[in-house]
Amino acid sequence: MSKILAIASSNVRRLLRERSNIFFVFIFPIALILLIGAQFGGDFAPGVGVFRADDDPLADAITEEIQSENSLAVTGFESSDELTEAVERGTVQAGVAIPAGVSGLAEAGTQVEVEFLARPDGAGPQLQSIVSAAVARVMTPVAAAQFGAEKTESSFDEALTVARSQTAMAPGLEVETTAVGDALFPSTLGRFDLGAAQQLVLFTFLTALAGSAALILTRKLGVSRRMLSTPTSTGTIVSGEGAGRWAVAMVQGLYIIAVTYLLFRVDWGDPLGALLILVAFSAVGAGAGMLMGAVFSNDQQAGGIGVVVSLGLAALGGCMLPIELFSPTMTRVAHLTPHAWALDGFAELVRRDGTVADILPELGVLTVYAAVLLVLAGWRLRQVLTRP
Amino acid sequence: MTTVLAAEGLNKKFDDLVAVDGVSFEIAEGETFGLLGPNGAGKTTSISMVAGLLEPDSGTVHVAGTPIRTNSTDGRAEIGLVPQELAIYPDLTGAENLRFFGRLYGMRGEELEKRVAEVLEVIGLTDRKDDLTREYSGGMQRRLNNGIGLLHRPRLLILDEPTVGVDPQSRNAILESVEELSGQGIAILFTTHYMEEAERLCDRVAIIDQGVIQAEGTRRELVSLVGKKDRISVTAGGDLTGIARAAAGLSGVTEASASDHGIEVLTSDAATLLPSLMSCFSSVGASITGVQIFEPNLEAVFLHLTGKALRD
Ligand SMILES: Nc1ncnc2c1ncn2[C@@H]1O[C@H](COP(=O)(O)OP(=O)(O)OP(=O)(O)O)[C@@H](O)[C@H]1O
Ligand SMILES: [Mg+2]
Repeated sequence: MSKILAIASSNVRRLLRERSNIFFVFIFPIALILLIGAQFGGDFAPGVGVFRADDDPLADAITEEIQSENSLAVTGFESSDELTEAVERGTVQAGVAIPAGVSGLAEAGTQVEVEFLARPDGAGPQLQSIVSAAVARVMTPVAAAQFGAEKTESSFDEALTVARSQTAMAPGLEVETTAVGDALFPSTLGRFDLGAAQQLVLFTFLTALAGSAALILTRKLGVSRRMLSTPTSTGTIVSGEGAGRWAVAMVQGLYIIAVTYLLFRVDWGDPLGALLILVAFSAVGAGAGMLMGAVFSNDQQAGGIGVVVSLGLAALGGCMLPIELFSPTMTRVAHLTPHAWALDGFAELVRRDGTVADILPELGVLTVYAAVLLVLAGWRLRQVLTRP
Repeated sequence: MTTVLAAEGLNKKFDDLVAVDGVSFEIAEGETFGLLGPNGAGKTTSISMVAGLLEPDSGTVHVAGTPIRTNSTDGRAEIGLVPQELAIYPDLTGAENLRFFGRLYGMRGEELEKRVAEVLEVIGLTDRKDDLTREYSGGMQRRLNNGIGLLHRPRLLILDEPTVGVDPQSRNAILESVEELSGQGIAILFTTHYMEEAERLCDRVAIIDQGVIQAEGTRRELVSLVGKKDRISVTAGGDLTGIARAAAGLSGVTEASASDHGIEVLTSDAATLLPSLMSCFSSVGASITGVQIFEPNLEAVFLHLTGKALRD
């Protein structure tokens, strides 16, 4: 155990020693979050206006769902014009207009179009993603029920009850976006909102993959071989290298959480839940970094590929453009990345007041990712360390 | 004397290349044993098997009675390996490197700190201990590389060409510390392709070429093995032919002849012969103005055994 710690801590020490690492690990992510936070407007819950064309049970359900988002301040509007004007003036950051008779439309199987209004600036896509997700959560069971009622003899209401109890991931839904008024801020910056969770996921994984270069260097320098000449087993060395990469990701993740909370009051939701996601996601990063470190033999090549792979996975996994804006196919593809699952977990904690119990599926998937990668990496590293 | 290392019948092939072929040797406590051979002779391959880093195709290694295997850490604590290539972290300081490997050798706390300070003193890096090793000179890096192998006071110290690429001053410091360690009772396995290092340090030398130990023994044994004699060259005046005849009659003298300015004597052991030779000369009234002893060196032995010269 003491030897695993020795190997792990030498990894952390080596990383922190490099001045450029300090910049990329600690300063850069916070700077980005700060930049985007300023763009977004900082410390307030963005207002969303809702206009319902009539009193309709489905419209009520949609409104309630949007209201249940903690990050939004929801106001009701009496007319569509008032809503548009409020959005234009910036009284609210976005508006949602629900047409008349949505229940009837849904029951008849007609596409329901909910209109989304926002100024063409930074807040728009972020709000739209939240609203889309909320609407989708209401509409998915409705669509399913509609389909179910058609195929079976049961009534629409019965089918809806069943469908609501079994809601799965929401596929996309038609939310029509209309841009009104001018941007409050120049739209060159922050066209895509990069929240703190997205930055955390992107950067911890990036750092973990970049760590593969350090491992390759350790091997190339013959230090790994020399470790093997001491009374230290291959298993201990592999565990130590893995623990080192995991510790680096954890240090960075905890730092981002602490700083964003203290400086910008970023809400991370249930602390235990956030910690568990970070623990699991860091293990995924450690496994991926170590696998690269065991497979590649050129540290510069691995470093370059690491950056490309981690930025690619981050983009695919929703760290740059929110997943809620993805098409249903792309949403499914996104969930091939561990990033999407980690982000889902954070979203559950923050936007819907989730607890550890609510993020068990995400934690489970991340744990499986981590286990598979760590086992593969350990096996491969053991192989390369002991070959002549 | 207790045997610390026993290597027996070591064989290693890399694909079709026989790198090590039936290598056996033993090293006792306090003994320095040299593996002398040119590039590619199989020195590092032999050492890797001794240190448990490479599984031999056949053969066994025992250190202090414990079998050494690649898949077990048994017996490793008795071995200090100093690899041929530098194996240190360039982005850690000298002290941090020592501390790191010390922990892998199972040391900790005050014991570790004390030992790190001692080793820094031995390798002469105390005043540079907090500098990153990538800022060290080649010789300093080499000294640290060697120091790591000493940390845990091993019973067997393996040094694979510890003086390669080192300035003369560092080189001398390294050789001196090897002599000192040997005096403390550590068994030392030393590889080199520098003949004079092997002659200076090693109690016994094995000459290895193409994976095979060609000959093994003390320098004297090796030299006599190939029939090489010490030559004593005496500058003297007087009846040189008569003096030479008298000298030839002494026991231990193989051949004695008169030259232009003196006498040339061939013997198997110059040091033993010298006193009786001197008294013989004075008894026949020779006036001696100079004496030179030429001992045949390992280079000559190597040349004789392998038909080629060592590198450098
Ligand atoms: N891992 C390996 N794979 C294939 N061949 C190898 C390997 N290691 C060594 N060899 C070969 O085995 C032979 C012995 O090499 P070794 O490194 O033991 O020589 P050496 O005596 O240490 O030489 P040097 O003085 O150059 O260090 C060489 O021909 C070398 O090319
Ligand atoms: Mg070698």
